[in-house]
Amino acid sequence: MSAGTTSRCRPITLHDLVLLAVLGVVFGFLYWVLVQLWGWLQVAMGPLGDLAQNVLVGGWMVVAPLAIYIVRKPGVGILVEIIASIVEVVFLASPVGPMLILVGLIQGAGAEVAFTATRYRRYGWGVFLVSGLTAALANLLLGMVRFGWAGQAFFELRVLFQLGSGVLLCGLLAKLIGDALLRTGVLDNYTIGRAARSARAAKTAAGSLQTDSEVSDG
Amino acid sequence: MRPAFGRPLAVDSVLHRRDPTVKLAVLLVICLVLTGVTDPVTPGVLYLLTWPVALRAGRIPAGTLLRAHLPFAAFALSLLLVNACTRSGELLARLGPVPITVEGLSIGAGLAVRTLLIGITSVTFVLTTDGARLMTSLHQHVRLDGRFAYAVLAGYRLLEQLPESWATIRAAQAARDASRRGRGPSRAPRALSRAAFTLLVTALRRGERMSIALETRGLGAGPRTIAAPSPLQVGDAVLAGTALVSTAVVLWGSWQAGTLRGLGALGVFG
Repeated sequence: MSAGTTSRCRPITLHDLVLLAVLGVVFGFLYWVLVQLWGWLQVAMGPLGDLAQNVLVGGWMVVAPLAIYIVRKPGVGILVEIIASIVEVVFLASPVGPMLILVGLIQGAGAEVAFTATRYRRYGWGVFLVSGLTAALANLLLGMVRFGWAGQAFFELRVLFQLGSGVLLCGLLAKLIGDALLRTGVLDNYTIGRAARSARAAKTAAGSLQTDSEVSDG
Repeated sequence: MRPAFGRPLAVDSVLHRRDPTVKLAVLLVICLVLTGVTDPVTPGVLYLLTWPVALRAGRIPAGTLLRAHLPFAAFALSLLLVNACTRSGELLARLGPVPITVEGLSIGAGLAVRTLLIGITSVTFVLTTDGARLMTSLHQHVRLDGRFAYAVLAGYRLLEQLPESWATIRAAQAARDASRRGRGPSRAPRALSRAAFTLLVTALRRGERMSIALETRGLGAGPRTIAAPSPLQVGDAVLAGTALVSTAVVLWGSWQAGTLRGLGALGVFG
């Protein structure tokens, strides 16, 4: 229970897997709700309706950086996106169809790149921002292949919406949700909770040596 | 007749009895192949062929199947509209300032009909397949990691409880808010997002209890035997063969008739 820093070497436990399944289920359900809303929003927006998905796209990828933030092990982002897409396709019959499992894999991999680059050690706002960007880029490439986006009008506007949505609704929102969950205490037995505890312990140890003027940002 | 949330129809049919892994694999192959097809005729023929299969072999009532179309239909309509209006090509008509092109209309129709086809096959799969049996079958035939299967099944149990948890949380919100007595919970986005966050926390807490229960029973510690195995039968081979051969025949027929069109028409990468 004490080692919070050597998390990279340990395999994924059943404890972690059930957490990933729960995240996958709750977010799979929320994604499915988002798909229903999006379908009607598209019709309501008329000819510009197809851009609605680029505005919303980050919301469909938010669970990948969130899961990595909590479990802090390689492959977790891809795994949780695949679970979420399986829930959507197999249990909720998403209109997107089984292709969604492939989409989940690509989006998860896109979000994971930023954390792999920092070797699953850094969880500042910057890393989440980059994670949102890479996830949006991966999804953009996929859309170009699946729907031929590059051949349509408004391509530049689409790219702009896509990247903005990725940063806000995927990267930064994941950090916000993760920090809020951490404050509730529900994540105390996962890597994120252990890391927060050891960080607090290190801070109080350092604080007892110096004058304690620092503000902790849990 | 609306089936329970995330549950198959409670009847027995030819499709209900088939192995879930085989059904899922057939579905994946057909959808992947159809991703490369952009004309409306080929998926249209397959879509019409799927109706009798769902009604007869899956024993899905026509009304249930039709109602399940609602989300796909909206999705398909938007694909049609968007492509008709935003693709360059030969001008067909003008809707105010928006030009509608022949190329856009035909590509949009292709993508829309494909969505309908994927939708009807997915609904047929979900309404004839039990989730627990699918995970058992995947564990047995595709060597899916047992721990992964347990975790997804635990999540599946949670999924069934989600609507009930949501109702409880919203009722609690209404009870605490004295200003809205008798009018139900607030529908403001703030109240809804707080309820959604509470739902997430409740689900995570319940999930942790579940994982402790699983570990206490020794699940995930090593290989286990399967209580209710899902054996592959001749019928499964017949199902896969029939579905794949008829898809191939439709594709070949469409190619012979000159209606088949591939990804090239989309203008992938510019």
